[in-house]
Amino acid sequence: MAMLSRTFGRLTLPGKIVFTAVPLLLVLAAGLTAAVVIVGPVVLTFLGDNVPLVRFVVAATIILLMTVPTAFLIIYMEMKVIALMNLRYGPDRVGPYGSLLSVVHGLKVLMKEDFTPTGADPLVFTWAPIVVYVASVMTLVVVPFAPGLFGLDLNIGLLYFFAMGGLGVVGLLMAGWSSFNKYSLLGGLRAAAQIVSYEIPLTLSVVGIVLLSGTLSVNQITLNQSGSLFDWYVFRQPLAFVIFFIAATAEANRTPFDLTEADSEIVAGFATEYSGMRFGFFFFAEYVNVFIVSGLTVALFMGGWNAPFDWPWPIVAQPDLSGMGIGLLFALALIPPLGILVLGLPFYLVNSQVKLWQALVIGFVLFNLVAVAALVGFAFLSFDWVVGLLWFLTKTYGFVFLFVWMRGTLPRVRIDQLMGFAWKWLLPASLLNLFVTALAILVVDGIR
Amino acid sequence: MSFVPGLGLVRGMALTLRRFFEPKVTNLYPEVPASIPPKFRGRLQLLYDEYGTLKCETCFQCAQACPVECIDMGGVDTKGRYAIHWGPPETYGERREESALRRAGRTVPDPVYEHFHGIDLHAVDEILEGFDHDPKELLGILAAIQAEYGYVPVAALKRVSQSTGAWYAMLYGTATYYDHLAVGAPAAAPGRADEAYLGALDGALSGRGARPDAADDAPAGER
Repeated sequence: MAMLSRTFGRLTLPGKIVFTAVPLLLVLAAGLTAAVVIVGPVVLTFLGDNVPLVRFVVAATIILLMTVPTAFLIIYMEMKVIALMNLRYGPDRVGPYGSLLSVVHGLKVLMKEDFTPTGADPLVFTWAPIVVYVASVMTLVVVPFAPGLFGLDLNIGLLYFFAMGGLGVVGLLMAGWSSFNKYSLLGGLRAAAQIVSYEIPLTLSVVGIVLLSGTLSVNQITLNQSGSLFDWYVFRQPLAFVIFFIAATAEANRTPFDLTEADSEIVAGFATEYSGMRFGFFFFAEYVNVFIVSGLTVALFMGGWNAPFDWPWPIVAQPDLSGMGIGLLFALALIPPLGILVLGLPFYLVNSQVKLWQALVIGFVLFNLVAVAALVGFAFLSFDWVVGLLWFLTKTYGFVFLFVWMRGTLPRVRIDQLMGFAWKWLLPASLLNLFVTALAILVVDGIR
Repeated sequence: MSFVPGLGLVRGMALTLRRFFEPKVTNLYPEVPASIPPKFRGRLQLLYDEYGTLKCETCFQCAQACPVECIDMGGVDTKGRYAIHWGPPETYGERREESALRRAGRTVPDPVYEHFHGIDLHAVDEILEGFDHDPKELLGILAAIQAEYGYVPVAALKRVSQSTGAWYAMLYGTATYYDHLAVGAPAAAPGRADEAYLGALDGALSGRGARPDAADDAPAGER
């Protein structure tokens, strides 16, 4: 034993790590294998018996993971687009065109001190950002991204969406209350007042669509809009679309209704006492909210994943890969090196400054681009949901751009203007829209 | 126009969208230096240090670099009395070099001056004292030096320049302009002030033969 410890002590640091990690990994692997063999069948049976539960867990996980790059993308978009509108260049240092700056922001937030003020209720203080974030993320479950690509096709999807969206208010109030700071409390109450006020026209404006489509399932509403461009509900419910968009702007705390954390005026409202990653969750939730609101607008009014027009030149080429037999294997082995050579050698031959290895690197990168393009093209041709996803994301990011564009343009409204607009204009307008829609449906049914 | 509700909103949005596509005004400085118009000269400014004295050391680098020769300097002499104009711009180069070297604490190399280490400059100092170090009396000073030495030694010009603050090249130009002044006489040309030195030199050399041109010593003015 003494000899063993002496020998271990004489090892270098990498040696110590390797000689510790390898036995540990072996033990772990053996344990895992045993666990899989023993528990595997039971787990598989359980999973097979509870497919909806598994589907929910998997969907929630994927959506949770999806929100992070989405938030990064929207943060980058906001920085870059507003900068371009201000005649600046915006981020251009980290990554291509500065696209990794939002990741750096995330890491920065992660590394900051996570401070809890004296007198704060630590439990509620910690849970508030989680509630806000999870409330945002859970709404994504019912948003249909593509045909067959949604978390859950709830038959009360819209109700679930607004319920989950309203849950975020609880998080804001928790944050404001637990911070032990009167400004935080005022900010939280203010945020709650705003969101609760705009929740009403937001929900009422959608009721017209519910009457038209006869369902609360977001997926079914999207399906009802398939067909031509004029089947989209934005053409049947234009007033509802305008009301929904304005109310959604207020729901997502975006300019011109971003009074809850008007960054240039007040001290971030309910998030005054927050720092570090707990503040980061609020920050992330805000940008995830932008994506969600855009996605729901697209799903309800802009036809969701439906293409606005049919592709006029249908491509029917379906390569029969299985018919190639052993040739497929040869092709898989030969195409990458040949492609790299074919794409890289011209640089070597044309420009004497380029060394052979540099030409090969260029060829490798180009071949990867070509291969990815070919793969995406193949998927685009072969799978329905890829097309749908692309259309959905295009439309959604169009709306995200619109939100960012508005933030780059519009000044902030006063708090009394904000509340007055919600109660005096949006609410009567949405009620009018609802009654007119109901009347129209009755009349049309009576005529028939 | 303004009675249409929401029109201002739309116009504002259109404005920012136009800005989105317009060329940007940011100067990407380290990669792309700012484009300066070829005629741009900046603004002339004299800076003061924290004690309220001028930071300018009259090194004349600015005047030498000035492409349109608009920079000129004036001041007072070393005793703070007389306004001095430092001379025409086309000769700043020479001035600058000397001044810079003097600031660096080094002697000003002058191949002509090297020959005149032996010259006794007390006479020049007395003459300067008599003229009160006044650069306006330049011709009188130079004439007195010519009378004292029989020619105008370069070393004397240097001393006059240092003492009065007048620019050396100006002194040199003045001295070489007038016919009655002889500048830079050969080492063989003796003046009255050099008699003792040359006599001592002759005495020291008497054992090994006389100086090569000791016989044909002649007044410098007659050359």
